[in-house]
Amino acid sequence: MPRRRSVLTTLLIVLPWTILLTIWHQNPATRYLTILRKETYENSTAKSLQFLINVTQIKEEQHTACTHQQEVTPAQQTARRYVYSRPPGWSRWLPTIYVITPTYTRPVQKAELTRLANTFLHVPNLHWMVVEDSPRRTNLVDSLLERSGLNFTHLNVESPKSVRIGLAKDSSHTPRGTLQRNLGLRWLRENLILSDSLEGVVYFADDDNTYSLELFEEMRSTQKVSVWPVAFVGGLRYEAPKVNTAGKVVGWKTVFDPNRPFAIDMAGFAINVRLVLKRPWANFQLSGVKGGYQETSLLKDLVTIAELEPKAANCTKVLVWHTRTEKPTLVNEGRQGFTDLKVEV
Amino acid sequence: MTMKMKLKLKNVFMLYFLVSVCGLMYALMQLGQPCDCTLHSRQSSDLVHSRDRTISRLQGELKRLQARGNPEEPPKPALPTIYTVTPTYTRLVQKAELTRLSQTLLHVPSLHWVVVEDSPVKTSLVSELLKRSGLRYTHLCTQTPKDFKLQEGDPNWLKPRGVEQRNLALQWLRENRGPSDEGVVYFADDDNTYSLRLFEEMRFTKRVSVWPVGLVGGVRFERPLVERGQVTGFYTAWKPNRPFPMDMAGFAVSLPLLLANPAARFHLSAQRGNLESSLLQALVSIEELEPRASNCTKVLVWHTRTEKPKMKQEDALLLKGLGSDPSVEV
Repeated sequence: MPRRRSVLTTLLIVLPWTILLTIWHQNPATRYLTILRKETYENSTAKSLQFLINVTQIKEEQHTACTHQQEVTPAQQTARRYVYSRPPGWSRWLPTIYVITPTYTRPVQKAELTRLANTFLHVPNLHWMVVEDSPRRTNLVDSLLERSGLNFTHLNVESPKSVRIGLAKDSSHTPRGTLQRNLGLRWLRENLILSDSLEGVVYFADDDNTYSLELFEEMRSTQKVSVWPVAFVGGLRYEAPKVNTAGKVVGWKTVFDPNRPFAIDMAGFAINVRLVLKRPWANFQLSGVKGGYQETSLLKDLVTIAELEPKAANCTKVLVWHTRTEKPTLVNEGRQGFTDLKVEV
Repeated sequence: MTMKMKLKLKNVFMLYFLVSVCGLMYALMQLGQPCDCTLHSRQSSDLVHSRDRTISRLQGELKRLQARGNPEEPPKPALPTIYTVTPTYTRLVQKAELTRLSQTLLHVPSLHWVVVEDSPVKTSLVSELLKRSGLRYTHLCTQTPKDFKLQEGDPNWLKPRGVEQRNLALQWLRENRGPSDEGVVYFADDDNTYSLRLFEEMRFTKRVSVWPVGLVGGVRFERPLVERGQVTGFYTAWKPNRPFPMDMAGFAVSLPLLLANPAARFHLSAQRGNLESSLLQALVSIEELEPRASNCTKVLVWHTRTEKPKMKQEDALLLKGLGSDPSVEV
């Protein structure tokens, strides 16, 4: 009896400590992630200051306050690098352009993202949000983003098989990239704090389109939702919003279903980020969307047609082209593959 | 005595147990609470703000000084110039292609863009684009002879494309550059994709440098085979018995070598796939090729092609006389 009792007592002593230790062991990671989620901006500006200026003072302050940040284990390293903000090499007073790009793995993916990055490198205060349609973030996109030198956020969400390209029964009506764009919106809503001083614009940029640099400066001044013409959509040279002499959007110059509430392509509009945060219920609809109505499914919850702001000289200049890249014919790869798979293309 | 001790011990244990359970609960409550680091970040953000202001002021001054500088000035010594020769022709996606190519080239220092249009006259679309690009450029034009021009519906490989245009660029270089000029010539088509690293790989070419090209020849990539730093052959699935079985985007020729061989040019009569060989045969042998891109193991350029946009509605409107405004440039 006394022996059993002593066993019981030792167990009672040891048990709480083991539980505590296991929880504390996990704790730094979860604590770190919550810090990261809440204060991406503050943390990253401080982190980036470290290699911009020798401000050791701030480094130390950060060090003492949030000690868990410094406990970097390999697991934490990968968790931390999915968001990156480089030193503020440009003005903080320009509204940031948040570009959401859904992407998926295919042979031309690296080429498309490379030339898109080359374009974005010219645009000040741009934050590129790349959302992969995959179960895990791929190394290809990860290293491309890191080497690009851009501010980025790297996310991923896998589309259900029925939605994914080529596998849908009715592909013309299946909205591609919807889940990915919604995830981008969600990240913004979770990581930005709504305030009157928050300035920014959200733009959905597909990875195969072509963007002029002028476009980004046009969209930066968006108060609610701004619109402009897009080339090579709807079977036309370009589609454009109809603007009256008073400078208001009154209709749509399209042939394909011009009576849609918003007969505009994904690349033809940008939304003020405060509006995105104010209406957390506004998202792209995934199922039951008719062809050409995907943009409407989002915009109807954000603006009315009267509130749209026409850009590009009252929608008379074409600053974005809906180019599409040919699928390369890899006929000579054969069944076993001709080229070394270790070489990334 | 023992009773008292026992009681005391029991109490001690109970106390200890309670304390550790409370501590555990507290630790569990702490999980998921955001860390409040706002105090320190506020101080750091003040510092950041003032640094930001200085940086944007200095950047503005830098931009003003750069704008004052004459873009026609020859490059300061040090970097050999990369002469990028781009043949182009009028079609719907031309402006888009040249726009995104210029955005890539704008990052490359000491670059001279030679754009040659397949047209009897220089078009205003290309002229304006080049003027606004911010690059150093030369704008030329020459028309492909009718017999060699592709017709609507012809497959793109039926006739060699861009031959006369590239030859005109070579002629311009021979007339406007001398033996003292350092540089390298690269034939960059307007629909391919180039990484910035590629240009640094080719800059210091002594004769002809080569590297892999992605998405060409029906395979993921074609590349030269390199053994001990020397090119020994080519890894390609399509027509591997050509003298130089590689793509136009896979090599660069040093300017002095071109000037030393005034007869070297592309031949219109070249068979399908032999256009590159028709030039290179007159310049180098395989052993003299300089491998780049980590001994030809990295893909830094992709032979992308852009789809022809569908103009079904536009054509229908044109029939009715209601086509889109032609004064809006696309």
